[in-house]
Amino acid sequence: MLEFLISNNIVCHAVEAMLFASLSCSILGVIVTQFNVSSIGFTMAHAAFAGAAIGMFAGINSTLAAIAASVLVALLIGPVGEYSKMSTDSILGVFFGMTMAIAIFFIAYMQYLGMGMSATALLFGDVVSLYREEIYALAGISVISIIFVYLFYKEISALIFNRKIAEASGIPVKPLYYGILFIIALAVALSLNIIGGLLLFVWLVTPAAAAYQFCHSLKSMFIVAPAIAGTVSVIGALAGLAWSLPVAPLTAIMITSVFVVSMILSPKRKISYRKPY
Amino acid sequence: MSSHQKPVISLKNIYTAYEGAEYPVIRDVSLDIFPGEFVIIGGPNGAGKTTILETINGLLKITHGEAEVLGMNVSSKGNNIRKRVGYVIQNFAFDPMTPFNVGEIVLMGRYGLIGPLKKTGEKDINRALEAMKVLKIENLKDMPIGKLSGGQQQKALIAQSIAKDPEILLLDEPFSNLDLLTREFVSEMLGEMARKGCTIIIVSHAFDALPDFDIRIVAMNEGRISLDETCSPDEVENKIRSISGEIQNA
Ligand SMILES: Nc1ncnc2c1ncn2[C@@H]1O[C@H](COP(=O)(O)OP(=O)(O)O)[C@@H](O)[C@H]1O
Ligand SMILES: [Mg+2]
Repeated sequence: MLEFLISNNIVCHAVEAMLFASLSCSILGVIVTQFNVSSIGFTMAHAAFAGAAIGMFAGINSTLAAIAASVLVALLIGPVGEYSKMSTDSILGVFFGMTMAIAIFFIAYMQYLGMGMSATALLFGDVVSLYREEIYALAGISVISIIFVYLFYKEISALIFNRKIAEASGIPVKPLYYGILFIIALAVALSLNIIGGLLLFVWLVTPAAAAYQFCHSLKSMFIVAPAIAGTVSVIGALAGLAWSLPVAPLTAIMITSVFVVSMILSPKRKISYRKPY
Repeated sequence: MSSHQKPVISLKNIYTAYEGAEYPVIRDVSLDIFPGEFVIIGGPNGAGKTTILETINGLLKITHGEAEVLGMNVSSKGNNIRKRVGYVIQNFAFDPMTPFNVGEIVLMGRYGLIGPLKKTGEKDINRALEAMKVLKIENLKDMPIGKLSGGQQQKALIAQSIAKDPEILLLDEPFSNLDLLTREFVSEMLGEMARKGCTIIIVSHAFDALPDFDIRIVAMNEGRISLDETCSPDEVENKIRSISGEIQNA
């Protein structure tokens, strides 16, 4: 899609993939962090990771397996919590441990069997060997994320402000909540091959956390977070490929650095005596 | 307020339990409330006052009995009921950095009413502005809600609940953070709303200004209704005192 800008095909695809993965993850990341469901996002990312590992091992489409596992975990969190009478956080801890164990089990076993190369991509990401369809799917989920946030902006903002108040105002909180989880599952599963299961969380949380440092409105967060993630990811992809560095880990470090800088510079943490608040 | 009218709230032998709890908190409660009634719910901590409010607007699951509000079944039509019922929650704590200002919070009261996929219109914005004026917080419109005092936040939440023009308004200890002057004008505002036909149900112990018409007092204790009487405004204080007394002696 960006061939007119970047002539090298591999570099072009890598940049596209990183750009689209970062857009959808960081937009959804604003919801995930502001709605205090970071641990759900975290768990879903690892479920996708486990699903992909199982899929790869069993020789079925690993992206579909990742989507299935991620959606399954999203659907299970509520009912399992109710059934076991445990807090959501404990349930998430259990799921997280379980999905991590499953993923690592299969990856280690595949390495033993000599299927190691593609399995490490699941761990740390791989921007070089991508299919065209994967890039289209990532572009698709970015567009879906943007449209979803645009269409349900009122409801999402009320939900983020306070779940009980949103529900009391007559907003259909449950369908919205599951809709959000479903789109996160899709985004996470599709980004898995590019960013890697161990680093996905950085894209989901850190750009939004950085935007939070200097945004006074939710609207600006939905613009600043993807702007940060997109810019840094494109630079990360170009720099990584130019100097033969691992792209996703390099970009993750860069995004985290942006977060640290924005926290230090955050106007929200400064005390101003001239302004009225 | 007379019994030949159809009740706006009708609870019949209601039991309400929290998820995972062994026993229901609300036990065998029956209550009919009529349009424009001004109801004060009293009783000690843990009596089930908050629980009964959230039973009425369907936030909690009714395990037994029949509940109808505004002619709709609470269990199946909860969301439609909540669009027309205001609710000021008791416990709130907002992150000081939460990215919302007072104007947005008040407008949010109308989001359910507007419905998904529709944008807020001029009428919505005007109603939110009017509600802020009534609560005297129009000067706080652009302030981040997290950085206001508890009382200012409380006023924003009350404004939010009236911005939707509710047919029933539920308020859970709305005075706890407010100063005397504010308590007075909020009480007067509620009386005015009741006179215009809005049903007011308020959980509170302290009243500084009561409307000049009959007030219904419902006392709760251990999840049951222990007293349900209508009296004139000047009897209210004694009544509320006697409820607390009875319960302490019990
Ligand atoms: N979320 C909850 N889960 C389980 N029990 C609860 C919950 N909230 C309240 N309860 C119980 O319900 C009872 C009534 O609570 P509540 O309605 O909040 O009382 P109050 O009259 O003080 O508003 C209390 O005994 C309390 O322990
Ligand atoms: Mg209470």
